[in-house]
Amino acid sequence: MTGAAKLTSRNWFGKATAGLILGFAVAIGVSALFAHLTPGGLTPSSGKAQLNMWIVAPIWAGVLSFCFLFRDGKSAWLKLGAATFAIYALLYGGRWLIGL
Amino acid sequence: MRADIVRTYKDIHSWVGIISGLALFIAFYAGAITMFETPLQRWASAPSTLPAAVALDDAPRLAEAMIAAHPEAARRYIVHVETNPETPARVSWSTGGRGEEGPQVLYGASFAEDGTLVSERLDVSPVAQLVDILHQQIGLTIDHEIAMPIMGAICLLYAIAIVSGIIALLPSMVKDLFALRFGKNLKRMWLDVHNALGLFSVPFHLVMALTALIFAFHDQIYDIQDAIVYEHRLDDQWAAARPPLPQPGEGAQMLAPSQLLARLSEQAPGFTPTAIEYRAAPNGAMLTQIAGYDPRYGMRAPTYGFATVDPYSGRVLQDDYLPGHQTGWVAVVTQFFTLHFGSYGGDPIRWAYFFLGLGGAFIFYTGNLLWIEARRRRITRDNPETPQKLSTRILGSLTIGVALGCVAGISTTIAAAKWLPGHVDDLNAAHTWIYYAVFLAAIGWAFLRGPARGSVELLWACAATTALIPLSTLLGAAGATDAWVWRDASILVDVVAIAGVACFALFARVTAHRIAHGPRDSIWSAHAMRETPPQPDAQNVSA
Repeated sequence: MTGAAKLTSRNWFGKATAGLILGFAVAIGVSALFAHLTPGGLTPSSGKAQLNMWIVAPIWAGVLSFCFLFRDGKSAWLKLGAATFAIYALLYGGRWLIGL
Repeated sequence: MRADIVRTYKDIHSWVGIISGLALFIAFYAGAITMFETPLQRWASAPSTLPAAVALDDAPRLAEAMIAAHPEAARRYIVHVETNPETPARVSWSTGGRGEEGPQVLYGASFAEDGTLVSERLDVSPVAQLVDILHQQIGLTIDHEIAMPIMGAICLLYAIAIVSGIIALLPSMVKDLFALRFGKNLKRMWLDVHNALGLFSVPFHLVMALTALIFAFHDQIYDIQDAIVYEHRLDDQWAAARPPLPQPGEGAQMLAPSQLLARLSEQAPGFTPTAIEYRAAPNGAMLTQIAGYDPRYGMRAPTYGFATVDPYSGRVLQDDYLPGHQTGWVAVVTQFFTLHFGSYGGDPIRWAYFFLGLGGAFIFYTGNLLWIEARRRRITRDNPETPQKLSTRILGSLTIGVALGCVAGISTTIAAAKWLPGHVDDLNAAHTWIYYAVFLAAIGWAFLRGPARGSVELLWACAATTALIPLSTLLGAAGATDAWVWRDASILVDVVAIAGVACFALFARVTAHRIAHGPRDSIWSAHAMRETPPQPDAQNVSA
């Protein structure tokens, strides 16, 4: 983000929708990486499955709360879109590489 | 911190606050009351007409007779270790409810003096449950499936409100934090109170926002994770947690309840069991789930945890939800539940949550007042004669109508618990109608009388309706009505109600002073200027 353009709340709609929709996609993607990469992986365990679900809340709410720091809606959609793409590329690419 | 970031988040804070504030007020006020669900349940429970409960070790004989007369009870029934006014029967069963047709109906069984089976519908007071639903579904007693996504949306706004509130406060935090400036500048005072309460309870609010977000959307998140995380094999995760089934040998008998509890106490010392649920397992054997509490540890449910136990050997088959025995990931998840429910640390934590909940309700209420106050000053800065906008007037009426209507509605419907049994068939419907009648009447009154006069009158209404709670107890004690009195800890309900009456009466008096003597350009002035102001002279005389 460049310091030149002043941040404003007027262009909230594009940023908020990006935070809401892509924030959720990011949260689900991170929860999948968390499920795979923390001890136990996807070995069946109800406690782990519950925790994997719970971590969606802070990530989703966090992205949605801080998405207003993006300069405008376009920037929010582009950057969060890139983050979403990277997370899912890691998830599906990683699965493909290790042959899951 | 850059000024434009602070400005942006200030704007966002006002708007998400104004949209979600009233729903959150209801959730927090009702939620604070749910901290005392157990005493409230006792207070509201009418004496049962069932014969006195049989001894614990007669429960198997009673269950046998009950199943012979009511075969549907065989698949699931409960033996209550403790019997009391709200659970009068030693053995109970239910029909309907979760996954079955119709609403849940609870039945209790006992033996008459001549040894014959007596069973009847248990009219457990639904009022504590109603307050809990108002809390969970932000005042909407509509279908759970519809209410929860609405609650979830409010939660997302609430999360944004917390973060934006902190950011907006950052630059002046050191200066403002310990300052409560009670003086001529009313907006300053409300802002100081709002900020101090908010900032000191940030951890509590973060916990509530994030846990409630999960309560709202867990089904949807699981469904999506099933596809993306587990490749449609989420069920394997749940299967791993299913306890092994009891494998009783040929002709094996179940332990008597007291033996079963003795075996459990060897394996879980310090756990106080309250109820044993017997369930028919898929392999034809019986399986028990023993609920109870242990104040030393956090509990998964608001008032209990449980163990799955083999009723033939007394061996604990699963301790994933047994307080103090949880390990690994599931212990972490239980922490989230206990943090929401305040089900750790016993009564001191419950009282702390009660006040944090009321404090939360107060934050949302003052938030709305600040919004109105900020607009008042913006409008009348140049010309004090400018009438207030219709929008602030509407918000003012809505704020006091919804908030005070919720308070008065809950008080009235709680008081009604002492009057309704025996007079209505569907207690739950009656309590719901009473709540909404008072709630909607308060909103109507707030619009009819305007925010200034309405607020004073509705605060008195809150005091009066809350006074009905101890009054109903007193009338029962004096023998003037059929209302019962339990001479035990449930007297707490009356004591808290009396304290509530004192607070509402005090608020009403302070507010009456403000509407008479406060700034006249405010919607909170009894002399408030309308769109067409009355004659200025007449106003001066009446002042």
